[in-house]
Amino acid sequence: MAGKRGATPATYSPSLTTAKGKKKPPIFTDDANWVRSDGRHFHQCRPAFLRIATVNSASGSAYAEFGNTKVIVSVFGPRESKKAMMYSDVGRLNCNVSYTTFATPSRGQGSDNKDFSSMLHKALEGAIILESFPKTTVDVFALVLESGGSDLPVIISCASLALADAGIMLYDLVAAVSVSCLGKNLVIDPISEEEVYQEGSFMISCMPSRNEVTQLTVTGEWSTPKISEAMDLCLDACSKLGNIMRSCLKEPLSAPEE
Amino acid sequence: MAAASGSNLSSEMEVDAFRRLFPLRFHERHLLQSIRPDGRTLGKARDTTIALGAVTSANGSALTKIGCTTMLAAIKLEVMTPTAESPDEGCIAIDFHMPPICSPIVRPGRPAEAAPVLAKQLSDTITSSGVIDLKELSLVGGKAAWMAYLDIYCLDADGSLFDAALLSAVAAFSHLRIPVVSLNDEGRIVLVSEDNGGGKLEKEPVNKEKRKLKLDSLPFSLTCILHKNYILADPTAEEESIMETLVTVVLDSSSQLVSLYKPGGPVPAHTSAIQDCVALTRQRLKELQKILNGAISDMEVD
Repeated sequence: MAGKRGATPATYSPSLTTAKGKKKPPIFTDDANWVRSDGRHFHQCRPAFLRIATVNSASGSAYAEFGNTKVIVSVFGPRESKKAMMYSDVGRLNCNVSYTTFATPSRGQGSDNKDFSSMLHKALEGAIILESFPKTTVDVFALVLESGGSDLPVIISCASLALADAGIMLYDLVAAVSVSCLGKNLVIDPISEEEVYQEGSFMISCMPSRNEVTQLTVTGEWSTPKISEAMDLCLDACSKLGNIMRSCLKEPLSAPEE
Repeated sequence: MAAASGSNLSSEMEVDAFRRLFPLRFHERHLLQSIRPDGRTLGKARDTTIALGAVTSANGSALTKIGCTTMLAAIKLEVMTPTAESPDEGCIAIDFHMPPICSPIVRPGRPAEAAPVLAKQLSDTITSSGVIDLKELSLVGGKAAWMAYLDIYCLDADGSLFDAALLSAVAAFSHLRIPVVSLNDEGRIVLVSEDNGGGKLEKEPVNKEKRKLKLDSLPFSLTCILHKNYILADPTAEEESIMETLVTVVLDSSSQLVSLYKPGGPVPAHTSAIQDCVALTRQRLKELQKILNGAISDMEVD
């Protein structure tokens, strides 16, 4: 009978026929002339669409859309910590990130992403005034509706907006931006296909108005000048994103904004 | 303040406090005036919107909102080998998810109890309504057929979850576009890229005509609360938690009854009450058809 998941046969998603040899897409070529598939400059971020108070049943929530990356974050609490938790003078932060089954091109299981959950926790922890809600827990839950690249930075930025919407005391908003190293070029805010071919990635989450970094990750092969270039790029983009986030919080609830 | 006797207490208290302390009396006072706390009349459903194509990574998707209740449904098509019993039929797998973002009572790692129940109800309704002819999902008889994975996510839970989920499922099926595929030499189904033109195709597509599903008699539903002699259409989460007798009626587009759920509850339903629920659903059906047709024509204009 249709609809029974248990008895479903093995399935596959059909791939493209036009796999002419193993030609690498233009993204690989090492010259400076290639254009990004969405027509952006190397140092140009995708347009950000942000909105707060999207989930009515949560204390605070935010929705973020950067190109095809679509994330929704709900914040609950501060509320009672789990019974098994030890006594704590300061508040606790609990983060969870999960993906929908249709978020990625090939159908996934929609399971929790433990890696991103702990990264999100670490990125936000430093920005929250945990002393302001002793003995209780604030839950930050993120659901990635569609994964289009740079997922983690979008989740982090969106989560900090949701925290602000919930009225949780913060030192500052947290804005996060990543950069991919592709050959000689640095591309900011990479999409999924750029991330697949990247040789290295660099992500910063920072509190723009305090000029403080809460999280910095570097993976892959980087030279020192490249790192400082990436750092400048990211910090500049973070401060711009911070301004957009700030103006989103000030908008009246009904008006859509860019 | 709190020293007064019970009756005085309730008359002097602030409305919000009264609502929290005496939820049932709060609602019953409204019902006496034939109105609900959100300003609706008893038989009126909340504002409903449908947006098609919300997820670009899926073959068909829809975002629906009934009041604050928000559902995102997406369909992904994959290829399967049909079973020996039904070689020329595809398959539909329906799942309903309540991620922790949707409600304060759902926590990660502890799935909501309601989710599997609703998944089963949705799956039963969609299969039994006959809205989709599984033969339409066949590609190559006995060799390949579509498996349609329909996943519905509740993004915000504020009552009448089944109605919103069914509406999003139906809308996602209306939005579904089947990709053009062909059978390659190894017997696998492969995509035919659309901008390739017809010129240098090695293989003839197997489903040139069948790009959309033929949907007959779409199912639509309405959930009502029975409380004393009142019938409240399209309840919010607050109303559902206070008055527990629910009746869900599913009708198809020609107003035929598809299914009826009354999962117990303290109020035994009179036959006339059930008939009233069906009548309310019939009205709601017309509203929902109009909203869905509006969403479909909006999409075709774009």
